[in-house]
Amino acid sequence: MSITQISVFVESKPGHMGRVLGAFSANGINVHGFSASDTGEYGIVRFVVDDTDRALEVLQSMGSAARKTEVLCVKLDDSVGQLQKVMETLAEAKLNVAYCYSLASTYIALSVRDLPGAEAALQAAGMNMVDNADLANFMVGETM
Amino acid sequence: MGTPMPTPDKIDFSKLPIYMPEVECASRERIRAIQLAKLIEQVEYTYARVPWYREKMNQMGVSPADIKTLEDVRLLPFTDKSALRETFPFGMFATPMDEIVELHSSSGTTGKPIVVGYTKQDMEVWSECIARLAQMAGVTAADRVQMAFGYGMFTGGFGLHYGVQRIGGTMIPAGAGNTERHIQMIEDYGTTAIIATPSYAMHICEVGEQMGFDWASSTLQIGLFGGEPCPPKLKAEIESRMHITCTDNYGLTEVMGPGVSGECLAHRDQQHIAEDHFLWEVVDPETGEPVADGEMGELVLTPLDKKGIPVLRYCTHDLTRVVTEKCECGRTLARMQKVRSRCDDMLIIRGTNVFPSQVEDVISEIDLLAPHYHIVVDNETGLDRMTVEVEIKPEAFSDSYEEMQAFSKVVRDKLRSVLLVSPVVKLVEPGGIARAIGKAKHVDDLRK
Repeated sequence: MSITQISVFVESKPGHMGRVLGAFSANGINVHGFSASDTGEYGIVRFVVDDTDRALEVLQSMGSAARKTEVLCVKLDDSVGQLQKVMETLAEAKLNVAYCYSLASTYIALSVRDLPGAEAALQAAGMNMVDNADLANFMVGETM
Repeated sequence: MGTPMPTPDKIDFSKLPIYMPEVECASRERIRAIQLAKLIEQVEYTYARVPWYREKMNQMGVSPADIKTLEDVRLLPFTDKSALRETFPFGMFATPMDEIVELHSSSGTTGKPIVVGYTKQDMEVWSECIARLAQMAGVTAADRVQMAFGYGMFTGGFGLHYGVQRIGGTMIPAGAGNTERHIQMIEDYGTTAIIATPSYAMHICEVGEQMGFDWASSTLQIGLFGGEPCPPKLKAEIESRMHITCTDNYGLTEVMGPGVSGECLAHRDQQHIAEDHFLWEVVDPETGEPVADGEMGELVLTPLDKKGIPVLRYCTHDLTRVVTEKCECGRTLARMQKVRSRCDDMLIIRGTNVFPSQVEDVISEIDLLAPHYHIVVDNETGLDRMTVEVEIKPEAFSDSYEEMQAFSKVVRDKLRSVLLVSPVVKLVEPGGIARAIGKAKHVDDLRK
């Protein structure tokens, strides 16, 4: 069980991320979560949106460098120690998290090389994962 | 539906038009005889009419009577852009203004522009030279040729315009810019050939693709490029994406404008020089002495029948080599290797000589990069720093920052191994390097 994110190559310059977001808006694509960090002159901005295929199509028609990737999406209880539990679980399974970000505070996306391995480890630790369909349902009306 | 041009190895050259076979296919002896007769007359004309040359030649102790062979051209003074600047605007003109029918000027990115004037006869020669290169690309009276160069003072626009009309082709004088309209006009008027800088042709191609225009089924068949060097990979990409055959020509305002030489379809990295109108020399840029036959050096041109502004031994600063063997296309006119670099666009980075064309070559060998680049040189930190911006193709993109960094390092290492200096490589998103409507500006030297 995983969700699909869209990664986009974006130069770290004013307006470049806005151009991507503008294209999403113009095509009625809703952004559930995103991550961008200060990696220097360019970055990989990752989006979780409500219509991944459409978003990719829109980005490709703009000539952007973009691709879909699978990430795990873990739903946490909103209580102390939950995030720590995720990381420790994966650490014990010797699985490295390349990057992670939260969609809403209780849904976090994790990139790992071994998706099934990480999923199994987290499931064994009693954590819930969601898929694209679940996400669409859960997130309706929730504030980000 | 456009009829695609056959691939060059399948071209039957006997079926392609040659505009002036009596000179373009003449024996080397005949070409040299034409050149010598014209050179003698041109030196006399220039000496008699242009004080700047008369003084130079007197100082050097050379008179027109000393010119007895083609090699005697070496007795004459060199000319460079500064002579034309110093005498701005009309100091080098050899005729009264009422014999001048048109003025053009160079783009003049630095300092004063230089201005050139053409007599009626000069215009005839110019359009003839353009007619030749248009026919090398296969343009005939049946073609509808759309202009995407700017008109105005730049020689490219009007030069190509007159030459195509001379063949009887239909000129569509759209001019530069308004790319969507260009595409609409190709569709509406059934345009078969387009005249553009290669950078702008690439832009037209991309805009068309974004508009959903189907280049494969369009009427367009031929691209006539000029105004800037055309990197082979860029041309190949335009040819495959726009489904056209492109040639590019060489020329410079100071000796006439476009039309000095043009590409036939037999040797795509060379251009036939209009030798009956231009005497060429290839010299060592440091010493001015001729290089050995076929060796690389600076191209020096003497227009042989230019009446408005005669110019002797013009130093183009363009580096090339020339071969004189007969070409498969049937022409005997000498071929110059396409100019990839100029003596004066050499950058000196921490004491090492670097040519932008070297960067271009490295980039063209990396499949995941688009054929566009931009070089910035600065010394903000005290040391020279060269930054090369390269444009990734969408398929080069990975979700992993680590992989992108590794890719960037591969590019840097390849550049370093050729340039012998280590540049900073900056990956730029697809379409992120500005496409020029006119000449592409590849280098920004910000050193103080």
